[in-house]
This record gives sequence, structure tokens and C-alpha cells, in this order.
Amino acid sequence: MSSLVVQSGRRLRGRLAGEPVGFLALIVVGAYALVACGVWLGWWGSEWSALAGPGWAAPSAEHWLGTNRLGQDILARALAATATAFEIGVLVAVVTTAIGGLAGGLSGYFSDGWPDEVLLWLMGTLDAIPFYLLVAALAFALHGHPWAMHLAMIATFWTTTARLVRAETQRIRRLPFIEAARVAGLLPRSIIVRHILPNTAHILLVQATLVFIAAIKVEVVLSFLGIGTQDSISWGVMIAEGAQDILAGQYGNFVVASLFLFGLVMAFSLFADQLQDSLDPRTQDSRWQPHG
Amino acid sequence: MFIRQTRALICLLLLLSTACGGGADPEGTVYRHAIDGVPGSLDPAHAADVYASTLVVNIFDTLYRYRYLARPYELAPNLAEDFPEVSEDGRVFTIRLRAARFADDPAFADGRGRPVTAADVVFSLRRHFDPATRSQGAWLWRDRIVGLDAWGRDGADPQAEVAGLQALDDRTVRIELTRPYPQLVNTLAMALSAIVPPEAVAHYGREFSVRPVGSGPFQLLSLDETRAVLKPNAHFDREPLDLTAEGFDPDRHGHYGLEALDGRRYPFLDRLEVHFIAEPATRWNSFFSGRDVDNVMLPPEQAVRVLESTHPLVFRPQIERDFQTHVGRETGLVLYGFNMANPEIGYHADPERDRANHALRCAIRDAFDWAARNRVFYQGLGEVFPGVIPPFLDEYEPDLPTESIDHDPALARQRLADHGWTAEQLPVLVYGLESSVERRQMFEQFRAQLAAIGYPPEKIRRAAFGSFGEYHRAIINGQVDLFLLGWTLAYPDAQYSLQLFFGPNAAPGANLFNYANPEFDEAFRRAEPLPQGPERSALYRDLNRLVLDDCAMIGSLTRTRVHLWHPRVRMLPDREVLGGYFLRFVDVQEPPA
Repeated sequence: MSSLVVQSGRRLRGRLAGEPVGFLALIVVGAYALVACGVWLGWWGSEWSALAGPGWAAPSAEHWLGTNRLGQDILARALAATATAFEIGVLVAVVTTAIGGLAGGLSGYFSDGWPDEVLLWLMGTLDAIPFYLLVAALAFALHGHPWAMHLAMIATFWTTTARLVRAETQRIRRLPFIEAARVAGLLPRSIIVRHILPNTAHILLVQATLVFIAAIKVEVVLSFLGIGTQDSISWGVMIAEGAQDILAGQYGNFVVASLFLFGLVMAFSLFADQLQDSLDPRTQDSRWQPHG
Repeated sequence: MFIRQTRALICLLLLLSTACGGGADPEGTVYRHAIDGVPGSLDPAHAADVYASTLVVNIFDTLYRYRYLARPYELAPNLAEDFPEVSEDGRVFTIRLRAARFADDPAFADGRGRPVTAADVVFSLRRHFDPATRSQGAWLWRDRIVGLDAWGRDGADPQAEVAGLQALDDRTVRIELTRPYPQLVNTLAMALSAIVPPEAVAHYGREFSVRPVGSGPFQLLSLDETRAVLKPNAHFDREPLDLTAEGFDPDRHGHYGLEALDGRRYPFLDRLEVHFIAEPATRWNSFFSGRDVDNVMLPPEQAVRVLESTHPLVFRPQIERDFQTHVGRETGLVLYGFNMANPEIGYHADPERDRANHALRCAIRDAFDWAARNRVFYQGLGEVFPGVIPPFLDEYEPDLPTESIDHDPALARQRLADHGWTAEQLPVLVYGLESSVERRQMFEQFRAQLAAIGYPPEKIRRAAFGSFGEYHRAIINGQVDLFLLGWTLAYPDAQYSLQLFFGPNAAPGANLFNYANPEFDEAFRRAEPLPQGPERSALYRDLNRLVLDDCAMIGSLTRTRVHLWHPRVRMLPDREVLGGYFLRFVDVQEPPA
């Protein structure tokens, strides 16, 4: 597994070095991550809810991006919302990838048995429900719970990862080294965890980045609708506030939150594309060699 | 050839556009009225909100009403021929009805509306106490009318008589009260008391809420989630509009073009459309574009675009030029309440802790900045006043000390320190709100102001609810410790707002604060049977002060309603007290042909 990651890392570095757009995207994502870390460490953004000045103040030395209707600093809110976005994005991406990887591995390995049938039924059922409707319904049903939105997203996002891993597992399980492991008497659990899943790392990594972006976008949409973050700030909340501000001819909240969201989603999408190109065996010069 | 065809096509299009866009409306005179919510039901028994009232008072008749233009509000007979004859002890009311007829509807035997009788009035009031009706208005007459509560409890037998509610003949109703109730006539002007035909209630069952049949000036043509369309009730026949009797004052009303309506029979419209547009921006655009609705109640966010100044209130010249305008105070108030049943913040068995809780509530009140609330959310157009008797009532005391509405963080901190409250000891409070951007911002403002007196923000927790119903239930169930309440007075009497603190009305009743003060209850009971006058006013003022002294609420603010409408419409809009009663007096000038 570690050799695979090292190999992937080298390949990615090589690719990014030759792709300025991808490299720039990585820098932008890094900057956002730095902003999020600064918020978590209390360096900035912690005063996002304070009434720091007059309402709808223009940008000034004190409030670089002005204030909102209540007199809260728009920059502080946008920075704090970056941390919120990262929290949700990272958490949902990690948990979704873990669940999707395991479910996909199980389903693919036992593709002729009941585990596959049950998991396929479950995935089919979840996928059949309109996505935003399901997420909103779950978030609404779990209302008041601080993790409601996270749970809702995890409950719906894992199926795509699982389907991709399932297909890859079905391919890998027919390869000779898996046959050898089976003949050597390894239990299915060991085969899946030690030999199959590490060979789906390229899928999991790319899928994790896509889920990260999707989670942030969904969080913004749900927060905009009022069923997202409970007691923290989000770009969605700022955009929802901005929609009211526009009636009064005030655009600060709306523009700043939209730009922050656009910047992160765009940069991460470009980065994810680059990652996918780097790790996808079909785009490699040499054939992807699974590691047993 | 091609050029000739093109010219012909352009001419045809121009002709069509002229026919569609200009000249008289093919429907006749049409008024399109916008309101900011959807009525839940058009059954008068459920018409507890302003949206339902707007339609119900125009589809049905109530026994009484308020004069169109007279302010302060003045009661007037509507379906009743005159004011009731009242017995000397104030307990027996005899009401004569005028001749009226229900609108034609398949619910009637021959499809033709029959005359309204006293039996219909008896039926309409009794059904509030039939459990099957699930009335939202029974509380108005609970324990007030002899035998009515018992009739409901005993199975609501339609054949059984109610001693205190009888039809003496086809045109006379007798109401006997358990004790004097001077506000009875006011309740008989509310949409909840509107007169329904038993045939239609039986014919439509639950669908009566969307298939209303009444004797009011309009008849419902269609209803969906976006609008209601009404046409005049052919059987509606009242004496012509007497502007002087309605309180017309040339100085105040002279520029609305109402004089042209004097002496004419109403309703004046061929078609009335009530559009339900909850989103302020959509409502505004629909009005401002000039293509859709004819009126708008100004969203506060829009005030900066419409007003030159707020103090004094001056409209921008373009607005003055293009629209008719009217500014008035709401007949209600906005206030914050504490859940007094929670020993963490309300009443406590330990007298020392009880005093500390009182100080805590007063400190929260001192920390709250009403001026900022008014400035940020109401563009400074609201009026902040101490207590719960709003300025439009006679009992309002302009000289009442203002310390209960003054923002005084230093005093708040002092109160906390005097009673030993530290950041660690302060209780966790749940702040309830309806899920919306504005309510969330109000919460953040409230929490930030408490943070300024040392109340840790993490100890003020937000509990958001998806609808007003859920929010209301949460308050009733004691799930929230702090809540924002808007209370519209359904009749112009301070008793309507003071009842919020009457002990027997504790949640699920109107007393959502669970305020329990025997001194208050005793004075409230003494005021109940009194007619309007100095004695009652003095009692009301005492009650107001008791609530203030106990720091059971933070308040209050009364909002300013700014109405705009297109000049071709002759009216004076007012959604207070009776919702849209004025709609029967609306006329639209035909554009020149």
C-alpha cells in the first residue's frame, strides 16, 4: 500500500510539474487549507458572530470587505465559513470513502452471493431517490442534531464510491495474485483489506476529492435553504443573507461568499481532474500494475 | 411581396398587443391584491390568521365589522341590523339580523342560495364547540356562553338546545353569557365568527375549507397555492357606501379618490384576485413591474429604495409620483418571552434563586438593544414602547418609564454581579426561532448583545423549527426558554394583549410565557366584566406594570405598515384587525380606451 502511495505521489508530482493549471489549483487549495487551519487555531475568523461595526459598512481598513446587515465583519465570516466547508468536506470525504470502499470491496468480492445482492439493493434504493430530496429529508428528519447534515451526506455519497470499487474489485478478484492468496488459505476479509482495497487506492483517492467538492456544494445549498449548519457560519448562510441584502442594494455578502465558494470549488475541481489524469491507469504510459 | 407580408405581420402583432396590453380588461374591473402568505383554510372555524381572514371576511358575513376609514377603530353592524340589545346585567345579548342571502351553490337543494337565518348564526357559533370541527376559535367563547361548553362535551348533538345560544325567530339571535363579556361584539366581528350555511358544511365536509359558501360580497371562483379568484356574490345587497359614516376625512383621505365611490353599491369589482406571494423580492417585483399585482406592503429591506427619509417618513419623489401610498401602525406588537415555567430562568421554589432568576431576566432585558433591532430589521420605522399595550390603544401610556426598553449593558452586568451570576453559573438557554434568514440574524444579534454583558455565546443555543406551527408547539411544550412572538390584536382592546399573561391561559393557551402571578390574575378578572372606561383603563395599566416589574418579557415594538398601490385603484388598504375587509370597497378605474 505504502509503495503504491509513494508511486502515486511521484507520478502526481511529475504530472503537476508539467501542468501549470493543476499546480496553480493545488496552491489555491493549499491557501484555502491554510485559511481553515488558521480558523481552527484561532488566528482569524473567530469573531465571525460579533457585532463589529455599523451595518452594511463599506470596505475599510477596519473591515476589509465591509460588514453585513448586523454589522458583522464579512471577511471574518467568509474565513470562518472556509473552515466550516473544510470540516464538512474532509469528514464526509473520509467517511464516505471508507464506507464506500468497504461496501464496494465486499460487494465486488462476493458478487455472486447475498452480500452483493443486499448491497446492490441498498445502493439502488438510495440512488433512486432524487439526491437533494433525500439529503434535505434526512437533514430535516435529524433536525437539531449538529451532525445531521454530515450524516445525510454520508448516507447518500457512499454509493458512487461503492459502485466504482465494486467494479474494480470484480476485475481484480480474477487476477492470479488473488487466486494465489485464496489458494494459500487467506480469509476473504484479509484478501479484501490487504490485497484488493490497496489496489483501488487510485479510485478512492479521486473519489474522495470529488466527494469533498460535492460535500461543500451540498453544504452550501442546504445552509442556503436553512437546513444546513446549525450554529456555525457557512457560505450558504452568507449567500442566503445576501439574497435579502440585494433588496436593499447591498451586494457585499453575496459577492464575497460566492467568490470564496467559486474559488475553492474551481481549484479543487481542477486539482481533482489532474489527480484523476495522474492516477488513472488508462492514461498512463505503462500499464497499471496491481500490487499484491 | 415579402416586405408586404412582414408589414402585415407586424401590424397584426401590434393590434394583438394593443388588444392584450391596453384598454379595458376583458374580465371587467379586476383588482389583484398581494398578500405575503397562503391561507391554511377558508373555513371560518379555522380562520385564525390574517391570510385566511383576508378571504373569509369577504366570502362570508360577520355580524359586526369595523368602519372602513374611522380610526381609532369603530365597531359597526354588518349582518346584524344594529348593535345588540344588552340586558342590564350585561349577560343577555339580543341581535336582529338584516335580510341577506347565501351565494348560489350546489350545496343548496335547488342550487340557489337561501336567506340567512338566526339558526345559521347559532349553528356557526355552536360548531366551534363540536370536537369534529377542530375549531381554532372556540377559546373566544369558552366558558362564556351558558351551556355551550357542556353541549360540546356531551357529544355536540345537533338536535340538542343550548340554553345560552338560541334563535328566537328567523331574524333574532339571543346569547346568554355566564358573566359579562364586553368584548363579545368584538369577537362577533372576527372572521372566526363568520356565518356558514349548515348545508354547505355537510355537503362539502372537510372540503369546506377550500369550497367556502357564504353570504359575503364575493364568491370563490378558484383557489390554488398561488392565488384565489373571486367574483361578486349576485345576492349580496347592502345599502350604498356612505363615506361619511365610514369615517371619511377629506384631510386624511381626500387624495385617494374615494369620493367617487360615495353613494354607490358595493362590491365595485367584477373580479378580485388575491395573490399569495411569500417571497418579499418576488412580491415587490410583481408590483413594481406594473404587470401583475396592484399593491404591495413594503418589505423593510426595500425601504431604502422607496423612502427619502424615515424620520420624518418621506417617500422618494418617483414613488410619490407613480403610486398611492399609505403609512400606518400595525395593531399588534413584537416581543421576546421567557418560559417562566423553567426554573433555570423562571419561577423557582427557592426564594433566593427566584430573586436571582428575576435579576437574570432583567439583565437580559437590559442587554437587549431595541433601537438596534428597530434600525436593522425595521429600518427604524417601528416604534418601541414599554409593556404590551401598543400605542394605538386608548390605554397606552406615553409617559411610562422606559427603563424596560433602554439598552443598558452596564446595568445588566451590575444586576448579574449583584446576584452572584458568573459566566460558569449562567444557565444554558434555548432560543427558539422559525427557520429563516431573518430570524437567524435576529438570533445572532440577540446572542451578540448578551455576549457583551458576559453571557457566554455557547450558552445561548439555537433551536430552529421549519414552520410557525412547529415553533409554536415547541413554545407550548416548553422546549425553548426564549422566544420571539408577534401578536396581532384581533380587536382593539388591551385585554387581547394582556391575556397573554393571564394564569388560566397558560400554554397551550395564549399565555405562552407560563406567567403565573395571582395579583395579575385577580386584577385581570376584575377588569373582565368592566365596560370601556377609566376604571378598566386603570386596571389595564396596572396589569401592564406588573408584567414589566416581573421581567417576564422583553418588549415591545410595533411595526409600521407602508402600503403602495397603483393610482388607478381607489382604496385605502389596511390588513389590521380584520384582514382584508376593505376589499369590498375597492374600485379600479378603467384605463382610457
